This record gives sequence, C-alpha cells and structure tokens, in this order.
Amino acid sequence: MTDYGHDLLFGLFVTPSATNAQHVLDLAVTADRAGLDLVTFQDHPYQPAFLDTWTLLSYAAARTERVRLSGNVLSLPLRPPAVLARAAASLDILSGGRFELGLGAGAFWDAIAAMGGRRLTASQAVDALREAIAIIRDLWNTEATGRVRHEGPYYPMAGAKRGPRPAHDIDIWVGAYKPRMLALTGAVADGWLPTLDYLPEGVASLPGLNARIDEAATRAGRDPAAVRRLMNFMNVRFSPTSQGMLDGPPGQWVEQLADLALTHGITAFIVGGDDPAVAERLAAEVAPAVRDLVRRERG
Amino acid sequence: MAIEVGIALGISGSDPETLLDLARQAESAALSLVVIQGGEDQGLDPWTTAVWLAGRTRHIPIGVAPAPVTADPADPEQAYPAIVAKAHRSLDILVGTRLITGESGWVVAPADATADQLRSLAAAGTPVVVPARSREDVDRLAELVGGDGASKERSAAVRARRREGIDYDHVPASLADVAIEPGDAAYRSVASTYLRGGSPGLVLRPRTPAEVADAIAFARRHRHLPLGVRSGGHGISGRSTNDGGLVIDVGALNTIEILDAGRRLVRIGPGATWKQVAAALDPYGWALGSGDYGGVGVGGLATAGGIGFLSRRYGLTIDRLRAVELVLADGSPVRATTADNPDLFWAVRGAGANFGVATAFEFEASDVREVGWAQLALVSTDLEASLRRFGELASAAPRDTTVFLVTGRPRQGQSVIQLYAMVDQRDPEIIVERLTPFTELGLLAQQQVVLTSYADVMGLAGDVGAEGHQGVGEPVARSAFLPELTDAFARDAARLLRLGLVYFFQLRTMGGAIADVPTGETAFAHRTPAFQVTAMGGDQARLNTAWDGLAGHFDGLYLSFDTDVRPQRLRDAFPPPVLARLRDLKRRYDPDNLFRDNFAIDPDPIEEHTR
Repeated sequence: MTDYGHDLLFGLFVTPSATNAQHVLDLAVTADRAGLDLVTFQDHPYQPAFLDTWTLLSYAAARTERVRLSGNVLSLPLRPPAVLARAAASLDILSGGRFELGLGAGAFWDAIAAMGGRRLTASQAVDALREAIAIIRDLWNTEATGRVRHEGPYYPMAGAKRGPRPAHDIDIWVGAYKPRMLALTGAVADGWLPTLDYLPEGVASLPGLNARIDEAATRAGRDPAAVRRLMNFMNVRFSPTSQGMLDGPPGQWVEQLADLALTHGITAFIVGGDDPAVAERLAAEVAPAVRDLVRRERG
Repeated sequence: MAIEVGIALGISGSDPETLLDLARQAESAALSLVVIQGGEDQGLDPWTTAVWLAGRTRHIPIGVAPAPVTADPADPEQAYPAIVAKAHRSLDILVGTRLITGESGWVVAPADATADQLRSLAAAGTPVVVPARSREDVDRLAELVGGDGASKERSAAVRARRREGIDYDHVPASLADVAIEPGDAAYRSVASTYLRGGSPGLVLRPRTPAEVADAIAFARRHRHLPLGVRSGGHGISGRSTNDGGLVIDVGALNTIEILDAGRRLVRIGPGATWKQVAAALDPYGWALGSGDYGGVGVGGLATAGGIGFLSRRYGLTIDRLRAVELVLADGSPVRATTADNPDLFWAVRGAGANFGVATAFEFEASDVREVGWAQLALVSTDLEASLRRFGELASAAPRDTTVFLVTGRPRQGQSVIQLYAMVDQRDPEIIVERLTPFTELGLLAQQQVVLTSYADVMGLAGDVGAEGHQGVGEPVARSAFLPELTDAFARDAARLLRLGLVYFFQLRTMGGAIADVPTGETAFAHRTPAFQVTAMGGDQARLNTAWDGLAGHFDGLYLSFDTDVRPQRLRDAFPPPVLARLRDLKRRYDPDNLFRDNFAIDPDPIEEHTR
C-alpha cells in the first residue's frame, strides 16, 4: 500500500482544437462551474489543428473563476525556460494562484526542429529539463538576492533578474515514463504526470514506477510524499455495465479511483474525451464519493 | 474629425485588479484601445497579460508590442518566432481580431496631453494612447474625447491589419459593405484559393457589372499592387490571390438563366461553378462541357479553353460560347460576339484574363442526356507500355468516348493508373464495349461504371463551405500539348515519373470536335494535339528541369495549368502570330497591362527588342 496523503484532484485533459475553439472553452467553463479542480491542455505547437496552448491557458484562466489550470504537459523544447517561468508566474498572479506547471522533455523532434526548437536525444532532453527546472525555480525565487546565472550547457544564462514572483508555490509536474525521467521526477519535481494508456502494463506498472520515483526522492534527501502522483486517463466513459478501467457506472469509477489513491498513491485524476457530460458526472457523481471513501479509509 | 484614443497600461508593478478595472473602464467609455506597456524582467509577461485582458473584456482592441524572439534554441530568455506567430493566430481564433501588435499600431501621447495635442497626434490615422494609472485618468480621457470618440466601422485592431499602399478609406461606396480586409472576420474564408495560400490586402466582391467597373477603377488606382481576378478560385496559373494586393472576386455574379430554349442558349455569370451549371441544365436534358471538376468556376475556365469530358464530341467550352460581356480596363462594359467586337471575342476565347473581367457568358448548350461514367483503377508494372497503349486506345476511340488518365509516383515498381471516362451514350452495351479495351492497361484493381448524368459527374466535386478555400503554399505545375503520344514520349514520361518529382500526372485526351475548329478561330490555338499533359510536383525548379527535358515531345502548353513564370512560357501558350495579334489587341484594350494575373501579355515587351 502506497499513499502519499495528498488531497484529491479531479480534472480534464482537453484537446486544444483550433477548429472547435468554442467547444474547448466550453469544456473549461463547464469544469469550472461543475467544481472540478483542474483543466489541463496538451501542448503540441507543431500541430496546425491545435491552438497555442499558452494562449489558450491564459484565455481559459480569464474565463474561469475557481478551477486550476496546467499544460499537460508543456513542451519544453519549444518553450524556453525563462520565458516560461515569467509567463507562468504572470498567469499565476493574474489568475489568483490558479496555475500549475505541467512540463515535459519533448517528443516529435522533427516537428520541434521545424518550429525553431532544438533536436535533442532522449538523454539530452532529460538533462535539458533538469536545467530548465532549476532556472524556472530560481527566477521565481525573489527572496534570494543576485541575478540568476546558469552555466548550461543547454540554457546558459549570463545573469537575469528574478521575478515576477508567483502568487502561490506553483507545482512543477513532469510527464515521465523512462528511468532517467522518473529519477529526475523524484529528485526535483513536485508531481509525476503520466498517462495510464502509455504505461507498459497499465496499473500493474505503477508499483515499479512509483518505487523508482520514491528511491530518487530519498536519494535526493526528499520525502517521497513531496512528489504528488497524478494520472491522465484517455479512454473513459460512463456506461451501464462494467467494461474496464473507467468504463462503467459511476460506482465502479469511484471504486477504481479510490483504489488507485489508496493502493498506488495516485491523487489527481485527469480524464480525456472532451465530453462536457463526462465532466459534469465526474464532478457530481464521482469526485465527492471518491473523496468520502478515501477519507474513511485513511481514517 | 473622429479621433481614436486609448489608454496605455504599465504592467510593471501594477496589480491585476487595477489593470482589469482600467481596461474595463476604457471599454465602457468607448475608448479605442488598451495598450499593454512593460515587459521588464520583474513585471508581468505582456503576452499573458494581453490574453488575460482580452478574456476579461468584451470587444476593446488590445495592443501589445511583439515579444522579442530568437532563432537560437539555447537562449532561455526569448521565444521562437513560429510560436509567437501561432500565439497571435490563436488569439484571433479565440476572440476575433482584437490584437494589435507592432509599435506602429499606436502613438503614445504624454500623460497630460490636451485635447488639441491628441487631435494633432491622431491626424495620421493611428490611434493615440495616453498612459493611465487611475480611474480619474481614464475619466479625463473619455471627457477629452467626448462625443468625438471613434465610431468608425472597423475597430483600430481590424485597421491595424491593413496592408501598405491600399486606399482603404476610399473603397468605392458601392463595394464598401461587402469588401473584406485582413482584420475582418470573413477574411479567412476569402484569403486563399483551392491550391494556393494567400493574404491579399483587400478583396472586392462586386455584384453587378457596374460594381465590377467600380472595382476596376479602384484597381487602376493601385497599379503598383498585384491584382487577382477570382471566379471559383481554382486557378493554378491564374493567381486569384496574392500577398498584400487586390482581389476582385466575381463569385456573386453567379446567375444561370435560359435565354432561348429552342436554341439551347443560356446566360451564365462568371461566379457560377460548373457543378451549378450542370445541375441547372440537367432538367432540360442539356449540358455544357467544362473541365474535369465541377468545383471550378465558370469565368476562369471559359476565358481559357475548357478541355473536358465532352470536348471530343462538342468542342471546347469556348467553342460553345456565343457572346461574352466584360468590363475593360478603362471601366467600359462591352459585349463581344462574332459580329460585335469580333477581335475581342476572338481574344477572350483563350486569353480572356488579359482583357477584362467577364460579367456574363452566353453559351449554346449541347443535347446531352444520360452518359456512361467510369472510374477505373489499374495497377501497371510496365508504365511505359501502359501509356503507349493508352495513347493508341484513347485517340482511336470514337468521339463519344473521352478517357483521361491520372497517375503518380510509382511504388515498388508499380504504378496505379486511374482512368476517368465518359461515354456519351445511354446504351449500357455500347458503354461497356467502348470501355473494355482500356481494362487491359494493367491489372484491374477497382472499377465503377454507371449510367448517370453529366450533372452527377460534375456533382462529385465537394461543396465549398462557409470557410472558403484553405489552400496553402504555391502550386507547382507544368503543362504541355502532345501532338501524339509516341513511344519515345511514353518512355520519357515513365522515366520522369520514376524520378518521384511528380505526384500528379494527367493526360487529357483531345481530338475530335476540338480539331474541327480552324486554328485561327480563337486565341486558343492548340487545336490539333492528341493530348494535354499536366504534371504537378513540389519543387518548381526541379520540375522545370525535368519537364524542359521533355520539350521535344511537346507543342505548346495549356495556360490554365502551368505555374512556370519564365517568359518563354507565354510563347508556348500562344504561337507567334497569335501572340502578335494579342499584343496588338492588348495595346488597344489594356495598354497599361492592368490585367496581368494569368499569362500576362505585356503590350510593349522590352524583351522582344532585345532577343
């Protein structure tokens, strides 16, 4: 049993479709009104059918009141870290502390290069992400004095002013699957944000992957509970009979999610599908019941 | 004079609530613009703030200086140009045209500027912004501007998208209500064409011949800009869109009326599509041969030629033309027939794009009832032999049978040959008999043969929705007429296709009634070739090199399908005596060469003297 004790978050994984921008926005507003905790957007800037995720995040934040927003996950190779740090802090300030930073090392390198980014090997991309996280945290840290300097090699900074300071401690959530990314997550991230569908053996992969993060955290002198475990679920639906993971009646969702929380320490559940009806049922019929169940079990 | 005044908000050190409060106040006071100023390291990020404010206000334009960009992916402090451009486009999609980027979008006045100072700064037509830090500042501005406040039809943000060198404020009154400029919501639907991405500075959409004359008068005052004339927007060589120039879109001139049922005489506007024409004539049992695709507009095709599925039986589209009405470069309307303005009637049939904007065509339709229509897909492992055999069969077929061949890059030594065939017969046995020989061109992979109407064949073309055409980039195409499909051509064409440069290769079978018309009868002068060949590729220079190598097989080109702009192409399109006569007429009808978007015939070519 692994439970890191975080409060539970429920949210949406939204496709930032440019041809259906109104629907995208409606989903964010629906999530906000229904009382979900998170609205997240994937970030593939080279995909012409998608909106720019940063612009969409800023706009969706302006059109909502309570819900927290994040990239899921932002593509670091096309979002230079200092630009991202300042934009993220700004959005956090403007939205009253509702922004969290989901960040990934990058994928689809040909497309990234075509948009002006740098082509890296998987291993280089992990190192670049580690460097970027350090830069972002340093720029947010206005308590410290002196300019921010970094040696590189990926993002050398000769000396940049700090700030702005975010309205709250923005979490950095990392999308990670492979050992080096998991190690980075444990060592420096505030959260792990994978997609269930991409885990080699689904839920059965979780103990091993969690253990790698825990181990890296411990080695870095951190409490493994400092790393929240989040999860995207791409294929979900409410159906009358039980068909599989998050494919069944609400009662089944409740049991499955509570089990993920109590057994595997997953405390943020982010569902895809772009369906406002699913968002409403998740908020009304699933989230409160999962919270109750987990609270009771945690005692 | 209406002046446009907005506020500038410094975002370093300002709290979000104050920013939002002032922006909303400016909006309700009907000020013209909120500019976000700042971007120092420790302040808010300008772009994020701009988007945020756009999301929390309703319609006021938002100005922001463009983010500093870099091409260096190791620079952690600057964004990449492609990402910034995408961010701007995304905001347009989310909130409409409200964003003004670029320092030239506004003038900053001192915080204590007087009304007179604001007026003089605004005289250049650029909005003036005044730094505002409090509600009192905004109140003072609202008062200063008073009833003078801008109520122009287009917001400052829309006008900020205007292009250089266009006199937007003097668009003819008759056209102003339907003209579309880059910041307008409808712009996306008119900017590009079927195969070409574009960003014209102004699209004029006349609804009557008088309005066409107004549009031409406006174009005459903008001789320094590209001018596109668009009917259906399918032009390949014809550039019915451009970058920063004018487009006259005659799509609204799309009526189809029967003039004389006894003579099958019909009058058609240039903006109708051939699909619409076919559908309108079908109830009468008539058809007008057009090209091979129903989405094409009448105007572009009917001024160039029209090599289609009925040409072998009834001639080119221009051969069915009995009268044309157009507006000339000087704005005068003119009607041309074999009796009236016969020179012009000759010129329009093959080189019409050089002489004016057609406003109506009168055609004699043909009696066409049911037809056989076939689409066959064959796989060939010996393309050269298949082409050779196709040449024999297609040319030897009776006039009622027209077969077009399309193929592309061979894959693993195999070519997929698509045949599109029309048989103007209603007896299924005859249709099958006509088509059967063609099935030996390869291994028959797919076949569909139906008894249908010409209208149904044209109706296969998709409808263009409210979004308009969304072409991107520039098409790359070469065309040629082939006097006959020789063994040597089949060999060289197969070799060309194996190079992989050409993804679309088409042979349109000619002959028959096309050749019945004497060569001098129309400006379209290529009456005797057996085929028209088109090749489309991705790279003009490489395609040119390959295509030029085939020149020995060719005699001229069809000007609708060639994007090579080297001067020699004009002489391929028009043989010397035809070109000489066209130049004479060009000097008479369009001496300043206003109409030059498709195979421009320079009235006074310098090159001719130097060659």
